[in-house]
Amino acid sequence: MNRPETILKAQDIHKSYGTLEVLKGISLEARKHDVISILGSSGSGKSTFLRCLNFLETPTSGKVTVHGEEVLVKNGKPQNARHIAEIRSRLGMVFQQFNLWTHRTVLENVMEGPIQVKRQTKAEARDKSEALLARVGLEDRMDMYPSQLSGGQQQRVAIARALAMEPDAILFDEPTSALDPELVGEVLKVMKSLAAEGRTMIVVTHEMGFAREVSSEVVFLHNGRIAEQGPPEEMFTNPKTEVFERFIAKVM
Amino acid sequence: MFELFAYGDTGWGDEILRGLAITIQLAIVTLPVGLFLGFLVAFASMSKLRALRMVGFGYTTIMRGLPEILTLFVVYNGVGLLLNMAVRWWNPEADAIDFSPFAAGVVALGMVFGAFAAEVLRGAFNSLDTGQSEAGRAIGMTPTQVFRRIQLPQMWRFALPGLGNLWINMLKDTALVSIIALNDLMRMTKVAVGVTKQPFTFYLVACLIYWAMCVLSELVLARMERRANRGIRRV
Ligand SMILES: Nc1ncnc2c1ncn2[C@@H]1O[C@H](COP(=O)(O)OP(=O)(O)O)[C@@H](O)[C@H]1O
Repeated sequence: MNRPETILKAQDIHKSYGTLEVLKGISLEARKHDVISILGSSGSGKSTFLRCLNFLETPTSGKVTVHGEEVLVKNGKPQNARHIAEIRSRLGMVFQQFNLWTHRTVLENVMEGPIQVKRQTKAEARDKSEALLARVGLEDRMDMYPSQLSGGQQQRVAIARALAMEPDAILFDEPTSALDPELVGEVLKVMKSLAAEGRTMIVVTHEMGFAREVSSEVVFLHNGRIAEQGPPEEMFTNPKTEVFERFIAKVM
Repeated sequence: MFELFAYGDTGWGDEILRGLAITIQLAIVTLPVGLFLGFLVAFASMSKLRALRMVGFGYTTIMRGLPEILTLFVVYNGVGLLLNMAVRWWNPEADAIDFSPFAAGVVALGMVFGAFAAEVLRGAFNSLDTGQSEAGRAIGMTPTQVFRRIQLPQMWRFALPGLGNLWINMLKDTALVSIIALNDLMRMTKVAVGVTKQPFTFYLVACLIYWAMCVLSELVLARMERRANRGIRRV
C-alpha cells in the first residue's frame, strides 16, 4: 500500500505549433525511483513532451506539478509562472547534443548551477562537483574544455552537471542518439547506475535494451498521444496495440 | 631634422605628443559610448516590439548611409544648437554653453561606432548555440543569468574580430575631428606643416604614429581573441 511519493505529475498536456497539434493530451506520473522510458517513432512528440515538463517549451495547455509546485497553463499562458524556475531547478535535464558550456572547463560546467542557482559557496560546489565527476569517471578531465572530450565523455559531464543540482528527477532527451556507436555503452552504464541507486528518471530513448532492462515503466507515444503504457516485460512480450507491435518489429 | 621634433619651444615634439594624447583620449572615451549604443541598438533591432525594431534598423541604416564627416558636422553644429535651445528654454538667463569639439567627436564617432557595432553584436547573438542557453534555463537560471553567464561571454567570442576592426577604423576616424578644431594628432601635424613647410616629414611621422597605434591594437586584439577562444577547438 505504501507507494513511493509522487515526484512529477503532468496532466493533460497539449502542445500545438500553429495549426499542427503535436501533443494531444498527455498525462504522466512519476513516483520516486521510477525509471520511465518514452518510446515512439520520430515525430511522435517525445522530445516536445519532455521539454514541456520543464517549460523549455510552453505547453498550449495542461498542468505540471513537481514537488508540490504547480504550474497550470491555459491558452499558452502559464498561470503561476514564478514556479517555473523552482520546477526547473528540481528537474535535471540531459540533452541529445550535451549542450555543455563551451567557454567553461568541465569542472566549471558542473559547478555553475550550484553556485549561480543554489547559491552554494565555491568551495562547497567544488567538492561536490569533483566527487560527481569522479563518479562518472572523469576525475582526470576536470580542467579540460568540453571540446577536448569525446561525445561520450561530454555526455557524462552533462549528467554530472544535472546531478550537481541534486534534482528530484532527471529528464533525458535521447541522450545517446548523437553518439558514435562505440561511445553509447559508457553513457548507458552511467544511466544504469543512476537507476540502480534509485534515481527518478524520465528517458526519451531509442535504446530498446535500456527501455526493456532498466526502466520500470514504458510509455509509447503515437501521433501525440499515449498509445500504450505499462511494465516493459509485459509490453515487449505481449504488445496490446497494433502500432506498438509494428514499432517493436521495426526497431528490434 | 631631429631638432624639428625637439621637445619644447624650438621643436614640434611636444605639440605632436599632446595631439597624440588627445587622439588616444578621444578614441578611448568613444569606445564605451559606442559599445553601449551598439548594445542598445542591437537589442532594439531584435526586440519583440515592432516599433523598437524599426528604431533599431532605422538607426543603423541611416548611420551607415552617412559619411562620417557629415555626421560630425551635424553633431557639432546641430547638437550644440539644440543643447543651447534646451538650456535657454529651461533658464532664459543662462550663458550659452560650448559644445566642445572633443564632446562632439565622442558623440559623432560613438554614433558611427554604435551603428556598426550593433550589426556585429546582432550577428554574434544570432550565431549563439541556443542549446547552451537552454541548458542554463533548464537548471533554473534567470534570463539575466543566462545572458551574463552564457550568452555574453560567447557573443564576445563571435563579436571580437568585428569590434576590433571597428576600433581600428574609429582610431583612424579620430583624424576627422581635426576639422572642427580639436587639437588632435592630425591637427597638430597640419599646424606643424603650415609653419615649417615640411609636409613630407611631418605627414610621414603622423603616418608612422597612426600605423603604430593600429599595430599595437592588433597585437592586443589578437591576445584578447586567443583568450576568448579558450576551449574552442581550432580547425
Ligand atoms: N519549434 C517547432 N516548431 C514547429 N514544429 C515543431 C517544433 N518542434 C517540434 N515540431 C514538430 O513537432 C513534432 C514532434 O516533434 P518531436 O517532439 O521532436 O518528436 P520526437 O521527439 O518524437 O521525434 C514534429 O512533427 C516536429 O516537426
